Amino acid sequence: MAFKKKLDLKNLDIKKAAKDFWYGKPHGERRLGDLYEDKTGLYKHREWRGVKDTMYYFYNVWLYNYVHMVIDVQKFGGVVNFAKGVWRYRWVGQTYLPVLHWFDRGMEGLRGEALRASPWHYRGMVCETIRQFQRMFAADTKLHGGKKNDLWYHTMAHNETVWGGIFYPWSDQFDNVSMEMIPYFVTCHVNSHTVHNYIDAVQSIGLPGDPCPMCQAESGLFVLDDMPDYAPFTITSNEACDASVATSILQDWFLDKPLFAMPQPMQFDDPLVLKHCAREIEECWRFIEEQTGVPFNWDQLVKKLEQQNELQKFEWEKWDVAAKTSYYPINGVAQALYRIYYSQDGDRKIWHDCDKKVRKIMEKCVRKKINSFPNTRHRVIAWSCAPLYYSHWCTWAYNCWGLNVVINMDSLMFDMTIRTDTYENCLEDMARYHMWAPMRRMAVGGMHHIFELWENMEKFNCDMVAMYDQLQCKGMQGVHGLFEDEFRARNIHAFWMPHALPDSRTVSRMEIRRIINDYMTTVMHEEPLDPSLLDFDDSMGW
Amino acid sequence: MKDLKHLIYFEDLLQEANNALVQQAKAEGKYAIGYTCYFMPEVLLDLPGCFSVRLRAPRCTSPDIATYYMSARVCHYGRSLFERALEGGFNFLDAQMATETCTVTCRFQEHLQRMDIIKNDNFFCEFIDVPFKRTENNYEHYREQLRYHVLGKLNEKFGIDVSDKALMQAIEQHNEVCRLINEIGDYRKLDNPTITGYEFQVIQLATLVCPKYLILDKLRETAEEMKTREPDPKPNYRCKVVLAGSENDDPDFTKLIESCGALVVCDRHCYGAVESRQPIVVKEGQEPLDAIARHYLDTSNCPRFMPQDEMRERKRRLAELVKEYKADGLIIASNKFCEYWSYERVIDTVVMKRDFGIPVCSIEKEYINSASGQLRTRFQAFVESVEIKKIQEGK
Amino acid sequence: MKKCKCKFGRFLLKLLGVALVANVALFIVFFFDLDGKLLFNVVEPFLKKHYDDMERKDTLQMPYDMDKYPKYDY
Repeated sequence: MAFKKKLDLKNLDIKKAAKDFWYGKPHGERRLGDLYEDKTGLYKHREWRGVKDTMYYFYNVWLYNYVHMVIDVQKFGGVVNFAKGVWRYRWVGQTYLPVLHWFDRGMEGLRGEALRASPWHYRGMVCETIRQFQRMFAADTKLHGGKKNDLWYHTMAHNETVWGGIFYPWSDQFDNVSMEMIPYFVTCHVNSHTVHNYIDAVQSIGLPGDPCPMCQAESGLFVLDDMPDYAPFTITSNEACDASVATSILQDWFLDKPLFAMPQPMQFDDPLVLKHCAREIEECWRFIEEQTGVPFNWDQLVKKLEQQNELQKFEWEKWDVAAKTSYYPINGVAQALYRIYYSQDGDRKIWHDCDKKVRKIMEKCVRKKINSFPNTRHRVIAWSCAPLYYSHWCTWAYNCWGLNVVINMDSLMFDMTIRTDTYENCLEDMARYHMWAPMRRMAVGGMHHIFELWENMEKFNCDMVAMYDQLQCKGMQGVHGLFEDEFRARNIHAFWMPHALPDSRTVSRMEIRRIINDYMTTVMHEEPLDPSLLDFDDSMGW
Repeated sequence: MKDLKHLIYFEDLLQEANNALVQQAKAEGKYAIGYTCYFMPEVLLDLPGCFSVRLRAPRCTSPDIATYYMSARVCHYGRSLFERALEGGFNFLDAQMATETCTVTCRFQEHLQRMDIIKNDNFFCEFIDVPFKRTENNYEHYREQLRYHVLGKLNEKFGIDVSDKALMQAIEQHNEVCRLINEIGDYRKLDNPTITGYEFQVIQLATLVCPKYLILDKLRETAEEMKTREPDPKPNYRCKVVLAGSENDDPDFTKLIESCGALVVCDRHCYGAVESRQPIVVKEGQEPLDAIARHYLDTSNCPRFMPQDEMRERKRRLAELVKEYKADGLIIASNKFCEYWSYERVIDTVVMKRDFGIPVCSIEKEYINSASGQLRTRFQAFVESVEIKKIQEGK
Repeated sequence: MKKCKCKFGRFLLKLLGVALVANVALFIVFFFDLDGKLLFNVVEPFLKKHYDDMERKDTLQMPYDMDKYPKYDY
């Protein structure tokens, strides 16, 4: 059919075709859904965005990132370690090779400044991901015949929910790498297939299917012996839920090395908990001193925190533009993933480099009043925890329905800078930051936190809520009905998006789209901007 | 064995939260304070002038409205409590002393806080923050949480005397209950126990849900009765087991296990007596509140504790219980959707058998067990396997 | 000198030609998602088979010694 269409030269409007070739088709005519191969999600061909944007995407995104991935691999540990790692660990080999497809999925339909700003966020995440897995491989005894090399002794392992800032005092001599961030969390975004192996593995030893699948996947890494042995000790935490506490026991069993538990208080609004939390951090530092034999370095901590504060200050500027103007050039998925990644990971040079580029683009957008999402019908706030295998749903939602996800809950977590004037102030702020970690900032410590949705909705000038419905999150399921009541009482348009975090088998991407389609047609009585995106099968897609 | 004189009386007290003794205490002007978790020290809620009621929702098989609010994908216990609250079953409560120790009971209590459910104008719900470790920092933190959020609020709202003297009085009463329960429970350690797991659980539960001062006389009489209670000449059980796991306030579950031939001789779960009925020791010169805080952190075997040494030590303590109670095996039962116990159960199932040689039956159950047929099959198979093991060992 | 310049010019032209061909080739790979197709149809199935066939340690045999680690209390 498409072939016939192409040959229909008689009715071809040359002027229009030339315009479409040069500038790209206007939003309503793109038919992005026609680009997909059935089921696989691969493209028959990548999108033609007009000459300028296609060439930008080809050179400055696709080629640039392929080249820089090779450079990063070489820079952070070498090709040999990388090859060994790929051969040994499923989560790297199966996941990270198709990383450019992850870019494609997130950047579909983008034009102009949005196509320039959003990929920089992805570039930052790719670079930091490579740094982390390369450090793991370079230090990994499993890749070096059981030998503990110097890097092994100079790497600290921790639970992914322990903020990287805890390790700043030693960052001039040691590196810290979270255990699960790269082997599991990031993989789900890039290739959603990999994680199924880990979920199945932990269930095969008797774990029921109902605990948080994120924690299940983390534990599955240990069960399949797919966790590199790259550090002499581990720090764990209770963030963000009961399952995260519970996984500590499997971590302890399968790692079998010194493990320090650094739980954060639950009732974090209570002024009484602050001192307690601060002392826990100090005890963690004592543990690190004891394990490494290297003393705490206050100057290094201050230096890194001040650098981190710069990242936060720029985040506030971004929020300001997103909230008050239509000139924000960053799409929903880039905003969400980049923010949660760097705020949890902590200060790294790549974040500053990317922010510098993005700042330039954003300032240009504001100065020249460039609206990068001109087909916005609704400004959406996404609340609760997102489907990891479909974090790019917001790209689809804008292309198909004009739903522009301006901000999301996880972005709003670590909403603070850290004082460095005195040790006491610094520690107090670090404790607070530590307690405001992803999910727990809104999900624990009192129900009023989760209902901060209303004020953020107003702040970001949103008229619709995308309510993530993580089917296995007890905390969010436990407040489901009150949200329904509130949506009705406040007359807010909200659609629920059921999912199971990393596990795409529970609710497929197609099913999520169907639910949103139903809401948009049945409740909102709207027509799609791009009908080709309404119904397509990407069940086998990455 | 001859029936226990007060068993039916105790059973009656478990039929609903607002039981006869609760009503009597309320009529005497005492304040009823609800709680759900061990980490809310019941002894503080039993200060003169008030009394503790550990919340249960017996016979709640269809928590429909609670399911609307909390979905069907969370623990049945939390939903059942919420349903009971919505039905008006907890309207007698004057306060709920809450803990954020597991997600779903926390959400239940937050609903009490947010929605106008408890029809009692003075009702309030107060949360404490409970630590995950047993270090000095954590003892201190817990103690100060109890001081501010429990003692402070009880005094402020109800004028309860929270002096050291009053605390000592509450500890004394608590210890008396512990002494009696342990006296009764010790008969479970006999080669041929003179009390069944079901009977013991009914008595233990009654002490958790009734004003202590009103139930002490019946406990004393039962302890006395136990001294002369004769066991059946031929034991009507095939093996003895320790029951460990998550929340369990359903004596019918124990009855089900025992009907399959496994006598439950020890309960180490949220409503069991292993932790909750250990006496509180106040050292000379020690502040009673400090003793209470340390006691509740030290005695708990909750999988919520995260330190490495503690996670490992828990296994050993469980194995010691099996030995102490002369049990042949272990039943680990976790409530469906309980995340702590889902993981703990996995490792217990492997490690208790592998490292301690204890046969383990690992099951997942509902709060109210309507699917008893499946469970019965599991328990019967387990009993048979234990018997075979005993035969092979020549016992 | 002239010969030299000519040689350099030819080299430059060659270089330009190679760059052009490489650009066109890469653009074809990019535009028709050949990288994705290769990874999806060849590389991933091959690696998956490799990982599925890998011998793995039975982690359930990991010891869980009760006294191996101290209490970290500071």
